[in-house]
Amino acid sequence: MAQDYTEWLAINVLNEQQLVSYRSLSRALKVHSNLAKQMLYDFHRNQNAKKPGTVHATYLITGVKQTERPATNGMHSQRDGEDTVMQSSPLLPSSSALKPDEHDDEEPNAVQTVMLVKQESLDLAKAKFESITGLHIYSLQAKGLGDIQSLTECNRKIAVDYASEDPMEVWKQYGTIQNPNVKRRTQRRQPPPPPAPVAKAAVAKAKPPVPTAKPTTLKKEASKDSEEAKPASNTCAKATTEPAKKPPTNKRQSSDIFKSFAKGKAKAKTEQESQESAGSTPKPAPDDEPIAGFSDEEDADEGDAAVIEEAPKVVNGKSKKEREAELQAMMEQDDEVMEDAAGAEPESAEADVDEGAIDKPETQAEEPKETVQIENGRRRGRRRVMKKKTVKDEDGYLVTKEEATWESFSEDEPAPKRIKVPPTTSMSKSTTAAAGKKGARPGGGNIMSFFSKK
Amino acid sequence: MNGDNHADLLQPPSNVEHAVSERTASHYTPLPTYRLPKGEHRHYQQQYADMYFARLAQLKPAVEQIASEAWADFEIGGETASRKDRVLDVREGELCWIAGTLYMEMPLKPNVLEDIGKEHWIAAPPPRVKYDTGGGLGGDSERGAHAGGGKGLAGAQIMLEDESGRLRLTGGYLSGGLLVTGAIVAVMGTENSDGDFEVLDLRVPDLPRQPSRWETEDGEAALQGKSVTTKRPISGKVAIISGLGVSGVEGDTLLLDLLLEYLLGESADPASQEQAASISRLIIAGNSLSHSSPIPSREELAAAAKKGGRKTYGYDSASYNAAPTDHLDQWLATLLPSIPITLLPGEQDPTSTSLPQQPIHAAMFPHSRAYMNPPTGPEGPGWFDSTTNPAEFSADGWRFLGTGGQPVDDVYKYLPDCEERLEMMEAMLRWRLTAPTAPTAPDTLWCYPFQDGDQFVMKECPHVFLVGNQPKFETAVVEGPLGQQVRVLAVPRFKETGELVLLDCETLVPEVVRFEVFDEG
Repeated sequence: MAQDYTEWLAINVLNEQQLVSYRSLSRALKVHSNLAKQMLYDFHRNQNAKKPGTVHATYLITGVKQTERPATNGMHSQRDGEDTVMQSSPLLPSSSALKPDEHDDEEPNAVQTVMLVKQESLDLAKAKFESITGLHIYSLQAKGLGDIQSLTECNRKIAVDYASEDPMEVWKQYGTIQNPNVKRRTQRRQPPPPPAPVAKAAVAKAKPPVPTAKPTTLKKEASKDSEEAKPASNTCAKATTEPAKKPPTNKRQSSDIFKSFAKGKAKAKTEQESQESAGSTPKPAPDDEPIAGFSDEEDADEGDAAVIEEAPKVVNGKSKKEREAELQAMMEQDDEVMEDAAGAEPESAEADVDEGAIDKPETQAEEPKETVQIENGRRRGRRRVMKKKTVKDEDGYLVTKEEATWESFSEDEPAPKRIKVPPTTSMSKSTTAAAGKKGARPGGGNIMSFFSKK
Repeated sequence: MNGDNHADLLQPPSNVEHAVSERTASHYTPLPTYRLPKGEHRHYQQQYADMYFARLAQLKPAVEQIASEAWADFEIGGETASRKDRVLDVREGELCWIAGTLYMEMPLKPNVLEDIGKEHWIAAPPPRVKYDTGGGLGGDSERGAHAGGGKGLAGAQIMLEDESGRLRLTGGYLSGGLLVTGAIVAVMGTENSDGDFEVLDLRVPDLPRQPSRWETEDGEAALQGKSVTTKRPISGKVAIISGLGVSGVEGDTLLLDLLLEYLLGESADPASQEQAASISRLIIAGNSLSHSSPIPSREELAAAAKKGGRKTYGYDSASYNAAPTDHLDQWLATLLPSIPITLLPGEQDPTSTSLPQQPIHAAMFPHSRAYMNPPTGPEGPGWFDSTTNPAEFSADGWRFLGTGGQPVDDVYKYLPDCEERLEMMEAMLRWRLTAPTAPTAPDTLWCYPFQDGDQFVMKECPHVFLVGNQPKFETAVVEGPLGQQVRVLAVPRFKETGELVLLDCETLVPEVVRFEVFDEG
């Protein structure tokens, strides 16, 4: 054991030039604090014997200082010669309080002092004490200590490094005063977890409970898509660190901004909508602004060393963060990536649709369900819409009929353009269905075909 | 001088087993005297005047009893003083005594009507050192402070008020006494030709009945049908601290660390550690955070306006800095496994600004929350008790009454030339308006409009009256007419003085432990 601490101290104090207090040593080596103090002393003495001045120390002195004039004495000098002031006469007729002058003559209150002092000033400090009850080394460092306040660094590091230890079990070995009556309740939720990795895991769990208003398939698809979206967002380093670090206030701000841009129908999740429409609107030009806004806020927030991770408590907040991640990811990805992602999806949808078309005349096409998928920050899905179809009759008359058709929509453009996907509903009549199918499908269901045409 | 016994820790490690001490247990019963009803049961529709009436009704009998005892056989020029029921019944030339509420009209006192007339602020009015023109003027001179002639209560008018009316008081006697708005007193004198009442003597309600030690616990046990334990273990000490002033700035937290280690029993030598093990409870009396009050002060608003940033209406959430609360929370969570803590909010803490301040919410302490009572759980003292300001509780059998300092600070503003805070505290006890009290509430100290009965009237005399956030440590014992003895403690601000007060619960004698960092300068 003797060797352990010498080694450990040699590494940390001399090699790594760190500030080591007796508390850090006791936690690192799992020893009693008093033992750690002795270890520090031993190391200090040995090192300075070999080569003086290699290791500097700070000491903690406890004792009774030489009494300076007690504070209450100051009152006397102020009041000399003034007789209008009430101190000498009882303020209240029934007052029985000891007057200050009498009070001083009786026992002055015992004042103990606990003083932290650098080794250079140790003798000076000791001279100030009338009697010393205790003296020990508080910390060691390789060079002289510039700012004594930097000793707070030790305790802060302890708090961070050993946060996972349960105080009730582990602190006994450090010599902390034990209290058998401590009442502590186990929490259902953990106190704020360390950022990023844990937060991400929590997000996945938090996501499924959030969309309560939607049908079950929607939820499954949503969570599935969120999983897909996550790898995409993970590629963006900024995106990953941002959502974890941003306090909930940022989300509120961003949603405030984006709510003004939000168009489109209010669906079940209005929050999501604002997020998605935020994705849709500021694509090229205002794109810079939100990013700039984010980065400003991120800088400002990164200044706070420890941001309380309120996230686990706010389940909605988690999903918002996650959506924010997607938003960010979407903003930063190139158009090609989006194209691919966009291309992948409609193609699969198209494949489904083609099969449906083949089977359609014979079989009762199953009712396509109204689905909304979230992918890459865009809302896509199928919904049922009343459309007017104008058809030339046998007699040459133009007949306008209203019918319900299914279409897939995507909200990543300012005006949600409706992509005409051939409807497979059983409600459409055969004639109009055929006509509708031909007219409604430009370029094979690919969203990008819109742009290629024009 | 430096004996060898203190150098135990200045030696190489040996195989001596180091003892781990156990802390003395703390018996604690918080009293919900100052808890306001939550949610919609808390009304603000009522007028504050009701508070004054309630106060008068509660204290008038007590003060009249004392006054009648004192002045029963008082004679001047063959005339005995007779008691008048109403203030307006006083006739000129007649020697009599009356009881009522004091009201002091002072030119520099914040006047609601003036404020409304001038501007609409939500910021707190600028702090003033004293309200009287004659005394020390610390505040700005926006109101055009005119030089009051001489010292004393120049410029101020003192009146006595009761249900019937108001009477102006004069007389040389008044300049010698401690008088603040809201105190219930009985005065004896006569009316002079100006219509003013000349005061010859003055009486206050004085201390109420004091419960005996352990009375609260015994009473509760009796109510619950348990047997009353006659043998109580020896109590330890209670550590009292105030004004931690945790801010986000890192430069001043070393003292806090030293305090933490001392209380945990890790620092210092084994003898001090044993002593620390006898500390059974820590009471934090206010102002644990600095600048966390929800209402910005006037200076802060001016600074924000000057910066010319975008005008934020309402709460600017981007400016929230979680670092101070987090730091405080970590600090508390490190202490809690070893010692129970009672936390009183103060003027600068994030809770209500009017008295009685409600407890700081558990949401501010994500780490320490585990040690608090669950909100829907069984009532009982929590290990970490976030309580109201002022707070009344029974620790180790003694009845404690604690405040964060606002009432005393406010009384201080009323009294010209008086720097003795201890005497003010004593006066507050004798007016029976300590807790919280502020006798000056609701006049200059914001408070909740109590409807049925002024909660600020002290019903039972505490054994210990502690006031936080005072400039320095002071203590005294106040004695009452029925033999009550109250230990009055002024707890200094830790951030400035680094002092911790230890109160021995067997003898009620305080001592001080001062933490400092040696300054070569």
